[in-house]
Amino acid sequence: MISALKSAHPARRAVLVGSYVLLVEWSRALIQNEPHMAVAALVLGGAALALVAAGWPAERLGLGTSRLGLRILGGLALGAVLLLPAAVRSAAVPMLPAGLAVAAVAVSIGEELAFRGALYAALDELGGAPLAIVGTTALWTAAHTLSHPPEFLGAVAAAGLLLALWRWACRDLVGPVIGHVIADLAL
Amino acid sequence: MRRAALLAAAATAYAVAAWMVAPGFYDGFGPPQPYNWTCPPPQAGANSKPLSGHQTIKVLGGVSDANSAFTDDGQVVIGFLPGAFDATGKTVISVDITPLTICPQPRGVRFVTNVYLISADAPLVKPANLVLRYSNLEPDPSDVYYATDPADSWKSIGAAQAAQPFTIDTTTREFGYFAAGYPSASPSPGVVTIGGGQTLPIVVAVLIALVVVAGVPLAIRRRGAQTEDEEQLQDKT
Repeated sequence: MISALKSAHPARRAVLVGSYVLLVEWSRALIQNEPHMAVAALVLGGAALALVAAGWPAERLGLGTSRLGLRILGGLALGAVLLLPAAVRSAAVPMLPAGLAVAAVAVSIGEELAFRGALYAALDELGGAPLAIVGTTALWTAAHTLSHPPEFLGAVAAAGLLLALWRWACRDLVGPVIGHVIADLAL
Repeated sequence: MRRAALLAAAATAYAVAAWMVAPGFYDGFGPPQPYNWTCPPPQAGANSKPLSGHQTIKVLGGVSDANSAFTDDGQVVIGFLPGAFDATGKTVISVDITPLTICPQPRGVRFVTNVYLISADAPLVKPANLVLRYSNLEPDPSDVYYATDPADSWKSIGAAQAAQPFTIDTTTREFGYFAAGYPSASPSPGVVTIGGGQTLPIVVAVLIALVVVAGVPLAIRRRGAQTEDEEQLQDKT
């Protein structure tokens, strides 16, 4: 499947990656609501999302160890920005249970590898950075329609746009991964 | 600089969008807070109807006892201090909590809980503490609303600091209809007033600046590396 994806026309590759990511996210959201299935759905969903990044060179995904300190700092700052509205407002926020925390890390990494990693790279190849930023943001928002109340989709889209812009501006995926993991662990 | 400005704009846009829905960033990993809905939202899945509650409060020496009334599913709890009721001529006071079977959505208010009728056969003379539980399937409420008739206008009776997650607390001196929600036409209360001298806008600015400051060196260094590559390529040709 990976070699077929690699040899596919950029447009076909982008459609295949986008469809796969959406399918995984929607399936995860549906299974997650079943009793006792949340952790399994998150972990397996995260793994299935990460799979789409297999075969891409790390550089094309925005991964790498160069300027690692700055990438990590960027991730921490992204996490702070993502959490700030909730941190300012919430009086009582529940702690995430340990099992769910591990699962949240898995799905956060999987989502970043899939959306701002493979999907971004596929769309970038097809139509450049504008298509990659707009396309990943749109699919990211669509992917959350089954798991989030409609009122939250504006914030979801804005978070997706911020992370995609970071991916473009800094050619970095480490920051979005760290920021996303921090934000998901905290809420 | 254009990239840094775009990043800053995106961070600001996110902060505004997230501020419009409490609790802000939300990725749905916490287990859904169990809630029995009268009108379940589409994402609720299987649902049980909300339960009612009844409490009989003793009157000793003309003074009503301290006690609490609650629904059997724990979604509403109302606590009474000693002497909270006008217990004239009573030996016991009955308190009932009944979920409404309809879901009124008055203009300008978005309810995120069921509507409950709380009634008693004696009036209150001291404020009672009211706690409503809510679900994380809806945005957090900012206020508890009260009405004497669900079809009439609803008024906010505010909210105190919640002691437990996914609960909203307030006090009331009257019985009637209660629900938790938020003003639908404007962001929830607690919105930071820019320029009001608060610390929070500064914190927001510092954090956004942190993102930009972390991003700019990355972008500059990457651009520098690109320029070097281009120069090397030109040298070769």
